[in-house]
Amino acid sequence: MAKRSVNSSKDAFAKLEGLGKGMINEINSGETPTFSASLRSKGNVFYDESVGYIRLGDKMEERRFVNVGQARKFMQTVAIANKCKKFLSEGAHTSIRGLFYQLKFTLGEDLDEELFSEQSESNPLVEDLEVSLELKREDLNLNTDRKGVVAGPLVLKDKFGGDETEIDCTKQGRSGWMIPSDVDNGMDFVSVDADYVLVVEKDAMWQRLNEDKFWRKENCILITPKGQSSRGCRRLIKRLANKKLPVYVFTDCDAWGWYIYWAIKTGSMNLAYLANDIATPEARFVGVTMQDIKDYDFLGSLTIRAKDVDIKRAEEMLGYEWISRHKEWVDELKTVLSTKKKIEQDALQGPRLSFVGEYLREKISKKKFLP
Amino acid sequence: MPTSTEKIFSEFKEHSVAEFFKKNKQMLGFSGKTRSLTTIVHEYVTNSLDACEEAGMLADITVKIDEIEKEKYRVSIQDNGPGIPKKHIGKALGQMLAGTKFHRYMQQRGQQGIGASGCTMYAQITTGKPIKAVSFYDKKKISCEVAVDLKTNSPRVENLIEEETDGSKSGIMVEGEFADVKYDKSSFGVFEYIKRTAMANPHAQFTLVEPDGQSVTFPRSIGEVPKKAHAVLPHPLGIATNDLLDLAHRDGENSKIGTFLQNGFSRISAAKVKELKDMLPAVDFEKPPKELGWADAEALVKAFAQVKWIAPETDSVIPIGREQIEKSLQSILAPQFLAVTERPVKIYKGGVPFAVEVAIAYGGHAGRQVAERHAGDVMRFANRVPLLFDSSGCTISEAAKEVDWKRYNIKNFEEEPITLFINLASVYVPYTSAGKQAISNEEDVFAEIKYAVMDAARDLQRYLSGITRERDRKERRKAILRYVGQFSKDVVDLAGEGKAAELEKKLVNLIETKYSSQIEEDEGETGAPKENGNAKEEEDIEE
Repeated sequence: MAKRSVNSSKDAFAKLEGLGKGMINEINSGETPTFSASLRSKGNVFYDESVGYIRLGDKMEERRFVNVGQARKFMQTVAIANKCKKFLSEGAHTSIRGLFYQLKFTLGEDLDEELFSEQSESNPLVEDLEVSLELKREDLNLNTDRKGVVAGPLVLKDKFGGDETEIDCTKQGRSGWMIPSDVDNGMDFVSVDADYVLVVEKDAMWQRLNEDKFWRKENCILITPKGQSSRGCRRLIKRLANKKLPVYVFTDCDAWGWYIYWAIKTGSMNLAYLANDIATPEARFVGVTMQDIKDYDFLGSLTIRAKDVDIKRAEEMLGYEWISRHKEWVDELKTVLSTKKKIEQDALQGPRLSFVGEYLREKISKKKFLP
Repeated sequence: MPTSTEKIFSEFKEHSVAEFFKKNKQMLGFSGKTRSLTTIVHEYVTNSLDACEEAGMLADITVKIDEIEKEKYRVSIQDNGPGIPKKHIGKALGQMLAGTKFHRYMQQRGQQGIGASGCTMYAQITTGKPIKAVSFYDKKKISCEVAVDLKTNSPRVENLIEEETDGSKSGIMVEGEFADVKYDKSSFGVFEYIKRTAMANPHAQFTLVEPDGQSVTFPRSIGEVPKKAHAVLPHPLGIATNDLLDLAHRDGENSKIGTFLQNGFSRISAAKVKELKDMLPAVDFEKPPKELGWADAEALVKAFAQVKWIAPETDSVIPIGREQIEKSLQSILAPQFLAVTERPVKIYKGGVPFAVEVAIAYGGHAGRQVAERHAGDVMRFANRVPLLFDSSGCTISEAAKEVDWKRYNIKNFEEEPITLFINLASVYVPYTSAGKQAISNEEDVFAEIKYAVMDAARDLQRYLSGITRERDRKERRKAILRYVGQFSKDVVDLAGEGKAAELEKKLVNLIETKYSSQIEEDEGETGAPKENGNAKEEEDIEE
């Protein structure tokens, strides 16, 4: 997979123009304009062992304007590209919903047809552009909802809306720094002075650890994705991993928690086209594990019954080759299936509120990780 | 052909013809008010057409209908034919069964009921008035009133005025008043009758002046008088017992049944008579034909079926003709598409030649209008005479119905602008009844009609699928062309170079030339955007 060049809106601008120029050249030499992008269908998504994440294969899809089935989509894709170019030159951001409303207009008084009439039409075309131009939507000034919070020794410079602000994640109090949609463009690391990155599934757990100043004691960057991680959160984790920081993930001991880990580590199928930017194969799983139930006596009484969705998710995960290749994980998942039990990370507060910190410290120092 | 009507009348001669007429008028076409009026017009129009054709003249016929009071009309018919000589006017209009057309074995327009004299009588019994006639014949203008003496079935001519003319004008004008009739524009009415008659007789011109004063002319579209039909001898196959009896009893030339058969029929040679004699030792072939009895006649007809005959000559059948039908339907229906099939002469019952002609007109004025919607129309003709009634029992309707129209791109025949024109030409048309409005289900005739319709339908199908294909092609191109404007604007903006108008021109050109055929063959659906086929994953992610 070609290396993406990131955090350059100039680069995105040039790529968009290049797309248009290529099409004009095609027309001028008497050919139909074409648009190619990697195929994003399931058949072209696979786990690449050599890089350790899920990515798109080599299958390409070429669209032609002079095709009855493709003309409309083609026109729409170019309209989106043009609109994004405008956002870039104006330095303004919007959401994909905002983009949709910018492009929801009639094609002409004599045509009973709109450029876009539903957002479900524009969303996949945004992805097409991302894939074709090897850019993220964030590079096209398209924001996603923010999710995820950071605390710890990380200082960033945020150039936004004409201002430049320095953000020190050690000085964000109880609320932490909320991870924006785009952590590349106009977002530079000033200093990353930590020993590792700890990602905890739940916001409540993050608040607990933040209150205890776990990140200061451990000199780590404490992140919560608040459940499944957003693109921005995953991208930030990846950027920190690129700074050679180890990444540890701490989730519930259940299939869903584990899945959150795997999405951070190997990426996911429907974001396979972004995997190079957002997957962190170096991530390690710190807990909670089924083994912990044996190792910490008090946990035995704190398990709860696994729900049907947990069982189903566990079964699915056993079918993913990138998971089933690890014996440790197969054992964990099989234990879930046989005991039909799960345990939440919150349970580690059973003996005392600060026990979570003790638990993490012990596991990390002893390198008791799952791959 | 002799008809059962004739027999009935000869038996009733001594009694009141009027009484008989009143009782049996429905049998003669005088049933229902609309139909009665159509029958009257038909009788006169047929006489005019026959007279003109026989004289080798191009008919020009004007029919005028005036409403006198409710269900009482004045009907006048005028032609440009040879006219009727003075001494024949009475017989022609005032004596039942006096026409010259019976007893001849030749292709002719069917007589419905009892001809012009029947109309005279209908006028008498419904309004009590005679028929007015004006005949221009041989430099004379004869005006008179004609009635039928109901007791004696003899004509009564009154108020006759004879004037000299310069001979520049010929023809006849007949005018009568009739009650218990009704003029309407239904498919059984006079308008439809005249229109259809015009379609089947492109050499004639018809003008109809309707009761509201509106005048419609169906112009002549062919300048030639049709080939004259000639009388032929009947073939032994296809003859029924009573026909044989009739022919024998009317024969005045032969002294023996044997010679009557030999001279009165085609394909019966002396050798064949001998063959028949050997087959029927009980029949006396030496008797005079007038003495032929039912049993012997029946035996003969049965024997005819056993003998191997040479097929009858087919030149007695005179179809309307492909070109003629084309021209008249073009002129009257102005259809988008017209297919005419002319089938070769075939034979039914082994001895009766016939030919079927079919035309399918699509679009234009073809089909019927039923409450603003199109409806398919089957027009039946026998020897150019439109058959308006009794369609359900008619083999023409049945054959048309049996065609699987869906196979020919006609989704529903009942809802398409389509006219199916079917003419059966034959010396002996196998009508189902004396009303002569339906053709009986002769297997060979039925099959032939069906094949002819299918032939024409195949042409129609080619035409219709061509339209669909062309429409589809245009739509495919259009589906792309509608996006060219927006696309050109955006791509020029996006590239930051070029001019949208120029680019648009180039693209349109590419779509209409280089990629035109490719676009037409594309498998893709037009319009609605397709669902994106991306991998779905249950992921609680907000993007």
